[in-house]
Amino acid sequence: MCTGLPRTACPLRLIALCILLSHAAAYFGLTGREPLVFLPGPFANEPPNGKAHLKQCEQMTLTRRQKRLCRREPGLAETLRESVRLSLLECRYQFRNERWNCSMDGRGSLLKRGFKETAFLLAVSSAALSHALAKACSSGRMERCTCDDSPGLQHREAWQWGVCGDNLKYSTKFLKKFLGQKRVSKDLRAQIDTHNINVGIRAVKSGLKTTCKCHGVSGSCAVRTCWKQLSPFQDTGHLLKYRYDTAVRVHSVTNSATGETELASARRHSNTIPRPRPTELVFLEESPSFCRPSRYSPGTAGRPCSKDTSCSSLCCGRGYNTALRLTTLSCNCQVRWCCHVECQTCLREEEVYTCKKH
Amino acid sequence: MMVKLKLMCSVTDTRHTVLAITFCAFFMHVIVEANSWWSLAMNPLLIPEAYIIGGQPLCSQLEGLSKGQRKLCQLYQDHMQFIGEGAKTGIQECQYQFRQRRWNCSTVDNSSVFGRVMQIGSRETAFTYAISAAGVVNAVSRACREGELSSCGCSRAARPKDLPRDWLWGGCGDNLNYGYRFSKEFVDAREREKTFAKGSVESARLLMNLHNNEAGRRMASDLAHVSCKCHGVSGSCSLKTCWLQLADFRKVGDALKEKYDSAAAMKLNSRGKLIQVHSKFNSPTSHDLVYIDPSPDYCIGNKSTGSLGTQGRLCNKTSEGMDGCALMCCGRGYDQYKVQLVERCHCKFHWCCYVKCKRCSRTVDQFVCK
Repeated sequence: MCTGLPRTACPLRLIALCILLSHAAAYFGLTGREPLVFLPGPFANEPPNGKAHLKQCEQMTLTRRQKRLCRREPGLAETLRESVRLSLLECRYQFRNERWNCSMDGRGSLLKRGFKETAFLLAVSSAALSHALAKACSSGRMERCTCDDSPGLQHREAWQWGVCGDNLKYSTKFLKKFLGQKRVSKDLRAQIDTHNINVGIRAVKSGLKTTCKCHGVSGSCAVRTCWKQLSPFQDTGHLLKYRYDTAVRVHSVTNSATGETELASARRHSNTIPRPRPTELVFLEESPSFCRPSRYSPGTAGRPCSKDTSCSSLCCGRGYNTALRLTTLSCNCQVRWCCHVECQTCLREEEVYTCKKH
Repeated sequence: MMVKLKLMCSVTDTRHTVLAITFCAFFMHVIVEANSWWSLAMNPLLIPEAYIIGGQPLCSQLEGLSKGQRKLCQLYQDHMQFIGEGAKTGIQECQYQFRQRRWNCSTVDNSSVFGRVMQIGSRETAFTYAISAAGVVNAVSRACREGELSSCGCSRAARPKDLPRDWLWGGCGDNLNYGYRFSKEFVDAREREKTFAKGSVESARLLMNLHNNEAGRRMASDLAHVSCKCHGVSGSCSLKTCWLQLADFRKVGDALKEKYDSAAAMKLNSRGKLIQVHSKFNSPTSHDLVYIDPSPDYCIGNKSTGSLGTQGRLCNKTSEGMDGCALMCCGRGYDQYKVQLVERCHCKFHWCCYVKCKRCSRTVDQFVCK
């Protein structure tokens, strides 16, 4: 890292990295340096002796406190990787038709600014983390937590029937320790980040539904087993995308009563200080249009688009190129007794539209 | 022509320099004026009776026509008015289709109607050529049907094969055939009378212009459809007469705008023909638009490219598309004004038979690019 630099620049660079990493303590899975494919490492073929997770904890970019928590809990490393994968997939899916499509290029520069996209990244990453943790608890992959044991459920019966609710309570508590949200700082950027992370966690909480299964006499609902289940992560992603679309711009004001700095949104003229709602995403500055390649995104040149709907907005008025592509797909499928399906492969020519470069 | 210009401008003797400068200025004026038969749209030719007496002076008064076009003007005096109307329709449609983009097909008030923007062989130039050729087809075909022109009448197109047998084919349809041929003669006249060295920039531009004119004309004739009128017993459709009718020009504009979006970038090959720059994309048919140069930057006003810039353009704050303030103002920001809009409201119908409206004024926010 320090090769080829003059003497004074190296410590500056280290200090900048430390600052970046201390911000990195607030969020996980987003710094852009996470590898997309985790190579199994030299211990993959060893019999599971409970030490493999230590190596995985070392591989990831975590602070010292986070590494300690990771070492204590064997199933956590796997869960963290799962949450990174989940948040990446969901982000890419929700933004597949927008000019910024959540690519890894420029992610680092994007996280340094306070755009709407940064808010969404924070929220979806924390939501993915709490979702993955809750699912891991109920699947038995973690040692320190098991099924949901909140009162009000007939949990003894649930355990007897083998039903296990997702443990969101443990997940929320653990996240507070992991992401270090106890310290409320005066920095505007840190306040905004904390707010957005809480929005993500709240989105997962709002998706917690009570599901019941009837198993009485001949399937009647005389006997019922109920448990709490998280909605699929795609619903949470959809909700967060809606929050992204309705995000509010904020600035910092000093609360005259308590003397602390608070967030205030620019809209909603009322007598009291208009605080952003705890379910709204907040951002500091307007995003650039991601049309041309910049340090925040690679631009929209070459993006595939659909002629009737998205080409006009994706290509930013530059127009599109048409190419023919041969695709194979299964057709004329038939069920054979018993019990498999046989399909033929058909060749089809379809037109593919990609945005022009200029 | 550009080569001769360079030679003339490189003399060193002072007397020759003065002469050369005047020559250069003259030639430059000619280049800027290239293909501005669109100027027919700017000068309203509203008085057809004036043509009856002394046709010669009027044709020579019209600026922007080439030699071949002037000859056609003298031969077909009465068509000139409709060519002007056709060009005007084309320009209006162009301004409608591009009203939300950075270049909004705006005209400048001299004989080169769009300014120096048309010197660059960009996609916008391709669209303009195509839509004006289509406009001429429209106007001349309509004029034939209306009986305004002496050399053509109603359409004599053959009955289409897929028409049901009981329907009559007749009526007076738009004379598409004549309009197409006349537009081809007139609009392509300027390109046809020049010859350039094979492989030069001018020959590429000539091929591009011819292709785009043809694309516009074909679009206008392809969108013409069969239109019928029922006139059976008490208006029923037991008796139907059908004829060929031109499409509404808005549809032609929409279709050409789609072709503009998918226009193909071309270059000259060694044999002097236009081929695609990226060969892996679909090659353009005669219905597609082609262009040879990338578009200039329309954000900033630039006299050499002829771009007017987007300063002072209205933008829409809530839109995410090209007319949104972020993209239209190219990141320069916008000013907000409050404007009083006066419009008619609370209209009532009074017996008999007029409509009386009140005037309401409301304040709206307007956003103007810096």
